[in-house]
Amino acid sequence: MEYGPPPLFNQGVSARARLAFFSLAAAALIIVDRQVNALDSVRNGVETILYPVQRVLLWPRDLVVDVAGYFQTIGSLNEENEHLRRQMVEQSERAQQADQLQKENDQLRSLAGVKERLAVPSQVVVELYESRDSFSNKIVIDRGSHDGMKPGGPVIDESGVVGQVTRVFPNSSEVTLLTDKEQSLPVQVVRNGLHAVAFGGQERGTLELKFLPANVDVQGGDQVVTSGLDGVYPAGMAVATVTRVDRDLKDQFARVVLKPAAGLSESRLLLVLMTKPPPLPLPEAEQRKPANERPNSKAVRR
Amino acid sequence: MKMWTSRTGSNGTTVTNPGTMRPPTIGRSLRPEQVLRPVRPGFIWSTLIGAFLLNLLPWGKDVWVPDFFALTLVFWNVHQPRRVGMGIAFVFGLLMDVHNGTLFGEHALAYTLVSYGAISLHRRIQWFPVLSQTIYVFALLLVAQLASAAIRLWVGGASPGWWLGLLSSVVGAVIWPLLNSFLLAPQRRPAKRDDTRPL
Repeated sequence: MEYGPPPLFNQGVSARARLAFFSLAAAALIIVDRQVNALDSVRNGVETILYPVQRVLLWPRDLVVDVAGYFQTIGSLNEENEHLRRQMVEQSERAQQADQLQKENDQLRSLAGVKERLAVPSQVVVELYESRDSFSNKIVIDRGSHDGMKPGGPVIDESGVVGQVTRVFPNSSEVTLLTDKEQSLPVQVVRNGLHAVAFGGQERGTLELKFLPANVDVQGGDQVVTSGLDGVYPAGMAVATVTRVDRDLKDQFARVVLKPAAGLSESRLLLVLMTKPPPLPLPEAEQRKPANERPNSKAVRR
Repeated sequence: MKMWTSRTGSNGTTVTNPGTMRPPTIGRSLRPEQVLRPVRPGFIWSTLIGAFLLNLLPWGKDVWVPDFFALTLVFWNVHQPRRVGMGIAFVFGLLMDVHNGTLFGEHALAYTLVSYGAISLHRRIQWFPVLSQTIYVFALLLVAQLASAAIRLWVGGASPGWWLGLLSSVVGAVIWPLLNSFLLAPQRRPAKRDDTRPL
């Protein structure tokens, strides 16, 4: 099998030696990148160089979208206009109610002596592209650390929670979608206030509630919202709707499948909430109650 | 065997023996082969960078989109193994990792493996007609995908429907003949322009 060149021509290092060298280098990089964040500065540097190229390469797609939008018929525009107007009227009613409720809530809170909730600053961002990696669900947005982005910020769209900023570059950021299997967030079922944790689902584009007993009170059609326990996601934002509950008696846990409320891949305009990540628990407190105090240890995963 | 198979001259400068001089192998008729002109390094680099830019386009989750860079890399590894080696594969793999937000080194490892496979098989692959080469190319692209899949399975467990992504290797192998004729076109040009030449 060895068809090497005759030794009178010097060919440099043999292919096998090169293979060994580069494979070991790649393996070392993978292990280092997985264990520690030491390579983030390298990644940032490369991304800064790559960023203008990436932006330029988005032009063809945007051009196609724009041209297609230009040739949209008046009819569909009218329809959309009608729909939006209807939505606005519906929401204006809610907004007025919300104002009133907010005032009422503030009064009650001050009466009860509860700390006032602070308004969360936010930033509108545009989704640039979706990662091609078929093992994760990530998108890249057009704001980075220059615009004050920080890892951990929740990302929402007009209908619900989309995901969380997980990596920040100077001019862009990576957002891990809720449907990514490594992503999780604490939620609450609206109907009965049941607390649970939602994880990215086994099936593509779904979420799952895990570790709920087989006889849990969850039905198809239940609305699920953020519970705010983690201090990352504000409480009460729409997350998903329950589509299916499998109560297999072989398992001790029910399998609850959810459909995300946000249009996870369609909407291009998103809102990033610049919440401050909650302070880490002090070591002494952690020792005293080890399990209860760290609900967000997974939610701020990088 | 060793002497007769080097067709384009592995250093890309001259062609020592045109294919017509090769002894006929079993089951393969004597085909006239065109003598290829030397390749220009600028062309190699521009096609590699072009393929990389094609990969950077916002394809989203379309599983059928082939890995253009891996395909071009295989082509140059097969035809110019002295010029395009594993170092280039490694560096472009790192860039690809940053773009996709994957683990640093995942694509680098995959491209390195592909490059090694293509370089060690380059004499054998060139021996076959283009349509038969697609089988080798498919195998090489599959190795790349399975390597990165193995890393992902090791790191984070299976993801729903990840094997659908293997379709892109099939598409990549299908467009290999097209890519082959496109990338070899500059070397197939006649040395001198001649209006009386029929082609």
